[in-house]
Amino acid sequence: MASKFGFAGGIPERKVRPIWDAIDSRQFKNALKHVTTLLAKHPNSPYVLALKALVLERMGKIDDASAVSLTAKENLFSNDLLSMDDLTLSTLQIVFQRLDRLDLATECYEHACGKFPNKMELMMGLFNCYVREYSFVKQQQTAIKMYKLAGEEKYLLWSVCSIHLQVLCGNGGDKLLVLAEGLLKKHVASHSLHEPEALMVYISILEQQAKFGDALEILSGKLGSLLTINVDKLRMQGRLLALAGDYTAAADIFHKILESCPDDWEGFLHYLGCLLEDGSIWCDEAVNDPVHPPKFVSCKVSHLTDEQFDSRISIASAFIRKLQTDTVDNSVRGPYLATIEIERRRHLRGKGNDNNLMDGIVQYFCRFGHLGCFTSDVEMFFEVFTTDKKAELSEKLMKINDTLSTPPTKTLGLSISLFKIKQQLLLGDMFNSSANDVEVSCVQMFEMYCKNIPLSKDLDPQESMHGEELLSITSNILVQLFWRTKNVGYLVEAVMVLEFGLSIRRYVSQYKILLLHLYCHFGALSVAHEWYKSLDVKNILMESMLHHILPQMLVSPLWTELNSLLKDYLKFMDDHFRESADLTFLAYHHKNYSKIIEFVQFKDRLQRSSQYLVTRVETPILQLKQNADNIEDEEGILQSMKCGVDFLELSNEIGSKSLTFNEDLESRPWWTPTVEKNYLLGPFQGISYCPKEILTKERETSLKREIEKKSLLPRMIYLSIQSASLSIKEHVEVNGSVKPDITLELKLLLERFSQFLGFSLSEAIEVVKGSFSNGERSVVSDSNLIDWLNFTVFLNAWNLSSRELVHPDRNEGRPIIWNILDSLLERYILENVRSMEPQLCSPCSKVQLLMQLVTEPLAWHGLVIQSCLRSCLPSSKKKKKSGSAYQSSSNLAHAITESVQQLSLVLEGVIKQISESNRRPEDENSDGILSLLRKDEHNDGPGRVFHVLETFISSMSNAEVGDRIYHSLKSWSPADVARKMMTGKLKVLTAFSAICESKLKLLQSLKQQIAQV
Amino acid sequence: MTTIRRFCCNDLLRFTNVNLDHLTETFNMSFYMTYLARWPDYFHLAQGPGNHIMGYIMGKVEGQGESWHGHVTAVTVAPDYRRQQLAKKLMNLLEDISDNIDKAYFVDLFVRASNAPAIKMYEKLGYVIYRRVLRYYSGEEDGLDMRKALSRDVDKKSVIPLKRPVTPDELEYD
Repeated sequence: MASKFGFAGGIPERKVRPIWDAIDSRQFKNALKHVTTLLAKHPNSPYVLALKALVLERMGKIDDASAVSLTAKENLFSNDLLSMDDLTLSTLQIVFQRLDRLDLATECYEHACGKFPNKMELMMGLFNCYVREYSFVKQQQTAIKMYKLAGEEKYLLWSVCSIHLQVLCGNGGDKLLVLAEGLLKKHVASHSLHEPEALMVYISILEQQAKFGDALEILSGKLGSLLTINVDKLRMQGRLLALAGDYTAAADIFHKILESCPDDWEGFLHYLGCLLEDGSIWCDEAVNDPVHPPKFVSCKVSHLTDEQFDSRISIASAFIRKLQTDTVDNSVRGPYLATIEIERRRHLRGKGNDNNLMDGIVQYFCRFGHLGCFTSDVEMFFEVFTTDKKAELSEKLMKINDTLSTPPTKTLGLSISLFKIKQQLLLGDMFNSSANDVEVSCVQMFEMYCKNIPLSKDLDPQESMHGEELLSITSNILVQLFWRTKNVGYLVEAVMVLEFGLSIRRYVSQYKILLLHLYCHFGALSVAHEWYKSLDVKNILMESMLHHILPQMLVSPLWTELNSLLKDYLKFMDDHFRESADLTFLAYHHKNYSKIIEFVQFKDRLQRSSQYLVTRVETPILQLKQNADNIEDEEGILQSMKCGVDFLELSNEIGSKSLTFNEDLESRPWWTPTVEKNYLLGPFQGISYCPKEILTKERETSLKREIEKKSLLPRMIYLSIQSASLSIKEHVEVNGSVKPDITLELKLLLERFSQFLGFSLSEAIEVVKGSFSNGERSVVSDSNLIDWLNFTVFLNAWNLSSRELVHPDRNEGRPIIWNILDSLLERYILENVRSMEPQLCSPCSKVQLLMQLVTEPLAWHGLVIQSCLRSCLPSSKKKKKSGSAYQSSSNLAHAITESVQQLSLVLEGVIKQISESNRRPEDENSDGILSLLRKDEHNDGPGRVFHVLETFISSMSNAEVGDRIYHSLKSWSPADVARKMMTGKLKVLTAFSAICESKLKLLQSLKQQIAQV
Repeated sequence: MTTIRRFCCNDLLRFTNVNLDHLTETFNMSFYMTYLARWPDYFHLAQGPGNHIMGYIMGKVEGQGESWHGHVTAVTVAPDYRRQQLAKKLMNLLEDISDNIDKAYFVDLFVRASNAPAIKMYEKLGYVIYRRVLRYYSGEEDGLDMRKALSRDVDKKSVIPLKRPVTPDELEYD
């Protein structure tokens, strides 16, 4: 910034330099001093005012900065004699951008360009403003003016890209492309093109209009030489030819690509597709989500005759054989995998032979089976086999493996591939085997890992060890054994295996992810969170990886940790949204036009991110939960979120948005393939256990509903507080003013909320009156309990100020809904407290529900009580005068007193139960965990792998495994792991207990207030 | 089995298997986007069958006069695809572009002095340690500036090792 001095607004550089220097070195007070001095001499200078605004903004004085910047703008507009230099404008632009008023910056530049229409510098600034505002049409108009003025190719392309953006990201119709094409054509005729990126834009404009022939002509003409990376040009030509339906020519092009790069797998798929005249791969590209491309190439049934098909396949086979012979590099896998793909195509045509396909895979295994990627290379081919054939193939692979003689690292690699094939691809096989067989293979894998540790003893600790995957597979199978047997010992064993692996090398992210989910399952969320942190998930990785921990944290009492997860993620996303346009402008500036559309589309994708939208709703809800024990604080929070109005807007808009899912689900463990699914919570099913079914459409629908519903909460909480206080005022001032709009709005929101419960408002009220029964049948389950209770809280609050519902009996007893709400809260909280299992190795879902009950409906109800009391209890000043309010609403007073009493007892029950869980000494608990793994030789059940583990540690020698590994393992203790598991779980319970205690304290203080009346 | 193509924004959402590696830095968005906006030909990705991401390289070209050079900012390969010479392929690509398209004099890169496996690999690819940069990494660990001369540097002047180490503020470029 310090370089931007100039002679702005007639002020000499030496006067301004100290200000910029001070800003650059963040000495804002000093900067302000300088600027004030300068302002005394130039009180009306827009530039000095803009500088002052900038300093004030940096000092955090937003309102002052805003006022000063507006004065600067006014002065700029009012005084025609002042020069409109870019430095003044760009300084103002910075201030307005930081104040989130891009529109004002644009106005300044528009004004300046109006005054000096031919000044390129100003037009550039204006164009930049429109880029920041995503005003594609105005961008286009400005760029074309610049082009006319300067005649430079760059500005024409800016205009063309702005048109393209209107079509792809705005409301512009395809017709606009004709205009873009025309502009380019005319320019090319007179000036040709000079930038490769300009050509790429031209081609893509033509391609989008399906003018493939024209595009090809340009590409093969003189302009084609602009593309300096030859393979890029060939790929472009191949694609255009295929899209134009000229498969023969396209196949020739891909043939060329493969000759120069035989390992280009995509090139091969395109080649084969073109030979077989199947363009589905191109169509897929257009319809598939680029972030989750399919693993398999879908193929159309070929329209070729049998003879044609056979002849094309033999052409492909011959070519691939030639590539195999010509390739000397042993690491080139492409042509060998291609043989299998050709066989698969035969198979799909109904002309395949299972044995040939199997042989292809077996040969590939012999050549590349030792590589970590073997399984993912061949997984697509397993799809064509029946279960029996899969088993046959597995047998064949095992047999051939026995005959291969390879160095130890390769032998290990081959065995791992076999285990992976068995575990990941031949799942049916696993399920048919007895638990004992599965356990035996688990032990084998673990032993193999231990046996091969010496191979890695000389490796740098930063390098991956040989056989690392064996531990992930072992623990995956142990988890499966838990699912089968419900014996929690297997889960503990899985944890031990992974912790053991991480003590040998602490960088294995795959282990960490598995552990994180296992600790979550135990309820030791604080440990899970520690492992998550050790993954160092930051920046864009948060978008793809946060799903591993966020959903569990959202229902946990670890509010500080949750808050920082939410804050970091939102900051990352919002920073990106703020700076993305500037980076887009950088692409304009550097003439990398193809990146412009990419950047705009990417920002749009992130703005529609499902996780981002969930986080935007959950963040205020967390704040409301955290502050619910003090109504004044809560009101402050609500004020800062405009009383929930913005979230109502989100709720209204979400239905029409199309959400994007950017999570990397591939990295999730098999038992929880999506956030919503956890197989371990359900019964063991003898089916393929990781279907990885990702039904995006269904997820989108349900998530949208969830966001729509949750974003009603802040407003409903706000209105409930208002409604409660209104009800008291009503009692006091019978003829006073009431605010029906609060009551009415709350009713409308209740109507909306009841729809999420599957009922109309009146039906839902009946259900509440029947204590969550619809006739004989209960309507609540664990999944909708919180919603029903929240609804009842808001219903109760509405009922207090509304005259519509059966009004509380004015003479005796407690208001009906209030009464029901208290009993429901008591019932469900105590029910869940009772089912908190005594064993600490139990899953945490009950605690999660309990936690939600206390921190949501009970907390919101607490706010209603606080609001009522605040309105009816005399404040100290008016004590004498208005002392009668509490009595005047006697049945309400009665309800409040009873409620406070009842909820206190409930919370005491929760706290007591938690403290009983916590009372057991840690060692006793961790011994309990370890005892799950210690067994007699003949007993079935968990512990076999653990036994091997302990034996290995006690018998390993320094010479065998090397110093580093030896010492790490010697200092590692399973008892420490057990203890960590326990403390992790206790930490969560303690945090929950603290929340309950804070609520109890609130209720006690309310009791005291009531007693003083 | 590698299709090497230009890196694009959407790949940022797909490269977790590569970036979870503890030695691979996940930069902030403006860093990636600046590279994409300025040097798209220096940011390439290797993709394998099943659309799996195997690894990527990001770099830039900068400098003046005889210091005009290609720079490797990051090169990384996912665990499943290691020991297949993929890093070499990616490095060769960047060297080719620096050499043939941008006519640079050399390619350079920085590596942690403690990262012995990487140093060994770069040496195999023809890089030499040009100089040591004291406390280059977060003011703690030293970095090594490694270079490989390209065809334009006929006398290989750019890779004659410096005799003394330098400090980060003595570096010509960020």
